[in-house]
Amino acid sequence: MIHVPAPDPFAVFGLQRSIDLDERTLEQRYLKLSRECHPDLHRQKETGDCIAVLQRAAEINDAWKILRDPWQRARALLELLSPGALERNKKLDPMFLADALELAEEVAFASVENVPQLRTRLSGAVASDMQTLRAQLARGDVDAAARTLHASHYHRKALQDLDAKS
Amino acid sequence: MAYSDKVLDHYQNPRNVGSLDKNDPNVGTGVVGAPECGDVMKLQIKVDDDGRILDAKFKTYGCGSAIASSSLATEWLKGASVEAAAQIKNTQIVEELSLPPVKIHCSVLAEDAIKAAIDDWRQKRAARQQVGEGAKS
Repeated sequence: MIHVPAPDPFAVFGLQRSIDLDERTLEQRYLKLSRECHPDLHRQKETGDCIAVLQRAAEINDAWKILRDPWQRARALLELLSPGALERNKKLDPMFLADALELAEEVAFASVENVPQLRTRLSGAVASDMQTLRAQLARGDVDAAARTLHASHYHRKALQDLDAKS
Repeated sequence: MAYSDKVLDHYQNPRNVGSLDKNDPNVGTGVVGAPECGDVMKLQIKVDDDGRILDAKFKTYGCGSAIASSSLATEWLKGASVEAAAQIKNTQIVEELSLPPVKIHCSVLAEDAIKAAIDDWRQKRAARQQVGEGAKS
């Protein structure tokens, strides 16, 4: 079935738009919403209602995928707060990009004994990106947040590549 | 998605991979990125006093099309004049490599990298000329 992803995952979950969501609350909300539109509960309904229930279930699943991952959550939040912010902040500082390229090379040529140290460094960079991003979103600096989100992609990708190596 | 033979050729045997000394006054360096895919491309040119490109090198971290686009760009840059290099359009890269629509942004990245490298070289030259004039007066 083709369905258009819901534009506001926070609204689907009935939550306030925020980067800081309590993971337990989020999961409980997901389970509750999923139960509500479980097909077994709606067997007696008309066909039209069944489609609506399925549609709702798909919306909930899409929203869950976005909200449970802090990076996707941040991305969705940013697009809601300032549509186009990510697009207009795509140009990153060449100095940063040069570092990103060096990092990618380091990952590509890392010897087995260097992997743990490199992983610690990259994890640190990703964690620090998230901290910066939270602070920028908290003070409503959407352009800076968009740049941080873009920049962090390089750190996350490097970390993924490193994990794929070992 | 199937890559064209030309993309595969550049991907498997990339031309002119490497670096030039970015502090060399005759070297222009351009570093550009496509954050959505996490690609980054560095392209460098070494230019003689007549504005001819003596050497070109690249390093690209990204997909096959991004690597092929920058590899092809360095081939075209070598021996060209800076003026001609500035005229290179991403559509020419798309055509040469038969890039599909979803990979057009890779060719755009290569064009941006060429322009950034030329800009860097031009800025260095302008700064040098200013210093030169300052010394004369």
